[in-house]
Amino acid sequence: MELDFKLQKIIKKEAEYKSTNLGLNLLISRLQRRYSLNPSQAELDNCLREIKAFFEKYANIMKKDVDAIEKL
Amino acid sequence: MFINLEEAKKLILEGRILHIAAEESLLNQLPKGKWIAGTTPYFITEQGGITSKDKLFVNEITDAVDFKTAVYDRSNIFDITKDAFANGMTFLVMPFASDVAVFYAKEAPNVDDLFMNPVIGWISGYDLSTGSSAKVYDGVTGTAYGDKAVALHISLPDNKTASIGIVNIFSADNDDAVIEFKEDALSVTKCLVNGKETVFSDYITENKIDTQLPLVADYNGVLINVSIKSVSKENKTVDFYAPVFSGKEYRFARPVDDYAASFAEQLKGHKDVKPVFSCNCILNYLYGKLDGKATPPFAGPVTFGEIAYQLLNQTLVYAELIDK
Repeated sequence: MELDFKLQKIIKKEAEYKSTNLGLNLLISRLQRRYSLNPSQAELDNCLREIKAFFEKYANIMKKDVDAIEKL
Repeated sequence: MFINLEEAKKLILEGRILHIAAEESLLNQLPKGKWIAGTTPYFITEQGGITSKDKLFVNEITDAVDFKTAVYDRSNIFDITKDAFANGMTFLVMPFASDVAVFYAKEAPNVDDLFMNPVIGWISGYDLSTGSSAKVYDGVTGTAYGDKAVALHISLPDNKTASIGIVNIFSADNDDAVIEFKEDALSVTKCLVNGKETVFSDYITENKIDTQLPLVADYNGVLINVSIKSVSKENKTVDFYAPVFSGKEYRFARPVDDYAASFAEQLKGHKDVKPVFSCNCILNYLYGKLDGKATPPFAGPVTFGEIAYQLLNQTLVYAELIDK
């Protein structure tokens, strides 16, 4: 739940996180733009689902990023 | 590897999985096999930049455990996300100025799940001095296309994953004017300069802006360029090689005095990279006079656009395979 909360803050641009992973940075940028065009809870939930799917798929190489985001 | 036609044929006949870049007359002579290709006569080899019509740049994907090729047009190009292997990487090559390339450029950043599978590739081109047309090739069928995209989907072993990176020598001056656009577009008339509506072509002319410099936008710390294709004073339009997007803030890049030195500086941070593929932009090659100059550890085709998930401009892109 803590990770969800931090990810929501990143998507809403209330927190900043920059990765060394190109795909993650481009994804964050895309989700921030998507949410800014439609700042609704449903859109936020969709964005959250997409970024969590990314972390799940790349769990083996995303651990550092997940740990860092949880500490934001 | 930068090899001759006979060496390339041998690799194909041995059943190797290959990505190939070369001039059209060479690609037309290749036998069917496990390969895709695109046209360009420009390369940056380990020995330096070169224009060549008698050698091919070949990337062998030795780690691939399976592969498939696919051909796409604008109606199904984003099937690449579902066609990709669960653990793999997709090489995508599209002809310059083709309908599918223009569509991909504009829509890719808005496509759900684009980032779930690494997509790397380039826009094929041609010899600018002769002005022929860009092609792509599906080696499995031996078919060349001028209006479709080809993809090589590869599957990787469980202990490997693909990682995509970029090298961008450009930076933006944060004190410079902020330029915004009201819609996603490959061609614009108006923009906002520091919030004030302005005819963009007039702004460029009046401020004597060097249009060899791209617009730069910050994508969560990653600087993404948009290169200017042409400025029409008569029509008051500015055309781009990749789209600008609404909601993004752009600035013109700082001038680069010495491209080769700038690459050398940027590449210091990439010396341990072991790329399975890389390509660099024709505009960097031409504006930066990279003929004869190498960009280690990166070598590959010089392209009319670069793909790292989405279309990029004036950027070196690369893929490496890393242990999970």
